Amino acid sequence: MEKLLLIDMDKCTACKQCSLACSLIKEDLFDPQRGRIKILKKEDIALGVQLVCEQCESHPCVASCPNGALSRDEKTGIITVDEKLCTSKGACVDACIYHSIRLHPETKKPMFCDLCGGDPYCVKHCVPGAIQWVDKTDDMVKTKKKLRSARMTMYKEMKKEAA
Amino acid sequence: MYGHQGKILHVDLSKGKSWTEPIPEEWRKLFVGSRGINAKLLWDYCKDPDITWDDPRNIIIYAPGAVTGTTAPCSGRTSVTTVGCTTGLYLKSNTGGHWGAELKYAGYDHLVVHGESKEPVYINIVDDKVEILSAKDLWGKDIIDTDRLLKEKHGEDSRGLYIGPAGENLVRASSIMCSLYHAAGRGGGAAVMGKKKLKAVNVRGTKPVRVKDPKKFAEIAEEMRENLRVDSGAQGLHEFGTAGSIAAVNEMHAFPGKNWQTGYTDNVYPITGQALNELGYLKRRVACFGCTIGCHRYSEIEKGPNKGIASGGPEYETFGALGNGPGIIDTEGVLILNEICNRLGLDTITAGTVSQWAIESYLRGALTKEDTDGLELDWGKLDEVKKTVEKIAYRDGKLGDLLGDGLKIATDKIGKDSYKWAIMNKKGLEQSNVETRSAKAYALAFAVNPRGNDHLMTETFAEFGSSPEAVELIEKLTGDKKWASSHFTEFRAEIVRWHEDCYEITEALGFCVFTSTAAFGINPDNMARMYGAATGIEMSEEEMMLTGRRVCTLEKAFNVTRGATREHDDLPWRLMNEGADSGPLKGEMNSREELDNALDQYYALHEWDLKTSWPYRKTLEKLGLKEVADHLEKHGLLPKE
Repeated sequence: MEKLLLIDMDKCTACKQCSLACSLIKEDLFDPQRGRIKILKKEDIALGVQLVCEQCESHPCVASCPNGALSRDEKTGIITVDEKLCTSKGACVDACIYHSIRLHPETKKPMFCDLCGGDPYCVKHCVPGAIQWVDKTDDMVKTKKKLRSARMTMYKEMKKEAA
Repeated sequence: MYGHQGKILHVDLSKGKSWTEPIPEEWRKLFVGSRGINAKLLWDYCKDPDITWDDPRNIIIYAPGAVTGTTAPCSGRTSVTTVGCTTGLYLKSNTGGHWGAELKYAGYDHLVVHGESKEPVYINIVDDKVEILSAKDLWGKDIIDTDRLLKEKHGEDSRGLYIGPAGENLVRASSIMCSLYHAAGRGGGAAVMGKKKLKAVNVRGTKPVRVKDPKKFAEIAEEMRENLRVDSGAQGLHEFGTAGSIAAVNEMHAFPGKNWQTGYTDNVYPITGQALNELGYLKRRVACFGCTIGCHRYSEIEKGPNKGIASGGPEYETFGALGNGPGIIDTEGVLILNEICNRLGLDTITAGTVSQWAIESYLRGALTKEDTDGLELDWGKLDEVKKTVEKIAYRDGKLGDLLGDGLKIATDKIGKDSYKWAIMNKKGLEQSNVETRSAKAYALAFAVNPRGNDHLMTETFAEFGSSPEAVELIEKLTGDKKWASSHFTEFRAEIVRWHEDCYEITEALGFCVFTSTAAFGINPDNMARMYGAATGIEMSEEEMMLTGRRVCTLEKAFNVTRGATREHDDLPWRLMNEGADSGPLKGEMNSREELDNALDQYYALHEWDLKTSWPYRKTLEKLGLKEVADHLEKHGLLPKE
């Protein structure tokens, strides 16, 4: 059965194991900035909000790219970057409705979660169970959307407060 | 470089300059990192006993561990080392939070602050850029405002270490706060920062941490992670926090109340971790950087007259020192006191212990109403404890100034036998809330602890035998699992020494000590292997443990330079002379005779002189500390063999 990444903010302790695991599996080093998954940490209220590519149906990032550097696998929803076409202007970063895209600190190319080809490495690092790899049932799709919407509401509140 | 970033950052506040130097390769082998290399640095810069805590030549060193910043589970801890203000002796304190990892990402393993500024300043580090900036607008501000103002200026992603009003006022109970609710709390390190006029250290880092063998490293990290995932101790810490054990400790009649006059409290429930969860105060479980357990709490009062009070904690120790101790058996009462301490930068253990001493002193007539600025102190009076704690932070009035100096100075000032109910030992640090009268390895560990009697230089939780892992460890150390019970006096020296070494290497690597001495998923074997995979410096388990022994001995030697002898290795008068109040071990105490026997065994095991407690030359040389022996000999501080 197809699977999906279920991400629950209420279980997140903001330890950043997931970002570190991602940087390790992708680049053989440890750097939370290179994690395709990011934990937005608000220290004063001890909150962590997970931001990561959702392989979403609307994928506005693809259309936003003036150079057509982004393409989407219709089956998996995974976005890939043609690094020759990408000019690192960050239109996709602004376009993403889930605030999940960051430019790589060295290459300046956008980073997208590719679900590690079907065995997401971050999942096994998340002991509190805030990130789970579960069967894609109708119920789970609903739960995923619900949890995502809670995260986005919190994200907006945090940004409003900062501004 | 692998594992370490390889750089020590020095900042001199007197001269207003900063510089870096590489970590000598030899130090990585002898001292490993964090607490270990800190000990070496403090020895090198401050071994001259004229350098007191408030001397500008005193340094304060902050250091994440050798594997901090990686997926090594629970490896985000930072050791802070200096000449302590409460005891005048060696002080290492240790904090969680995310600051240490950030310093590592900025490219440094250690930050050494020298000198003393004339005006309030803070240090701002962004990778290679290191600035000493004016803290004129921050001085006097509490921790919440300090954090907010620095984040506004330097960004939400920067990480800060702060002192509050307590540290500025050179209060012994002051605590270095890491963000808003993690703390390098004990021993008055914040007062050292206050004396240096150093309000904060703010850091932002963008440099990756690399390890020598990523594949092997990941395998060992996974092994540790899975060990901790199934460890009952770690699971309990996640679910209920450190305060989850209070009901069980109370059942053992070992939860100190009313300044250690009781060990059992009826209806202890309101001041337990379970109450935080079940009564709806727990908002979130919080992890330090890279921690897979997440034992910290973020709690909030959501309704009623105290609505809006929120902070990190309370921990076991806070429910003890500010709850059961002064008789505040009230969840919101402790939440309120905990929030005040975090906001003003106070160590909840010392703040609570000195408050309890004040209450008992008042009840016994050793303190008058004039001494207490009119407060009618008694057990169970929240308003009075609240006012006392606030007074301590600001040294407000006669009471605040007296208690602000800590028990060592306060008992001297007041006299009237008040040392008899001052819960500290000869070194002068207020004891943490472990009932050592009925836990004999803890008693020894507390007595010999170089920074004073608490559980944070080593901890011997295994002696309770409360999990299969604990029993197995005691069997390994003593040859028989029957010794896994805390009332035995046999083999306590062996248990303590092993835990000293293990605790030290745990901190040197940056791990949380809960993972190796309260839960048991991380151990000397997998730490040694991980250090090898991270740095390429291969060591056996025994060699790794020996680095711990080396550092503990160096810390001991540092205290020898300050005149510490066997008589400093004792326990509070009350615990040595008054029996436990109730329970299966009613009447049990840490008698002079019992402690002397334990000390003899402990010093003999360490190959230290029984009379003075000082290490012999041969002992120091065996550990590669010849220069330490030479220095001690020059000053007449080497015992005759």
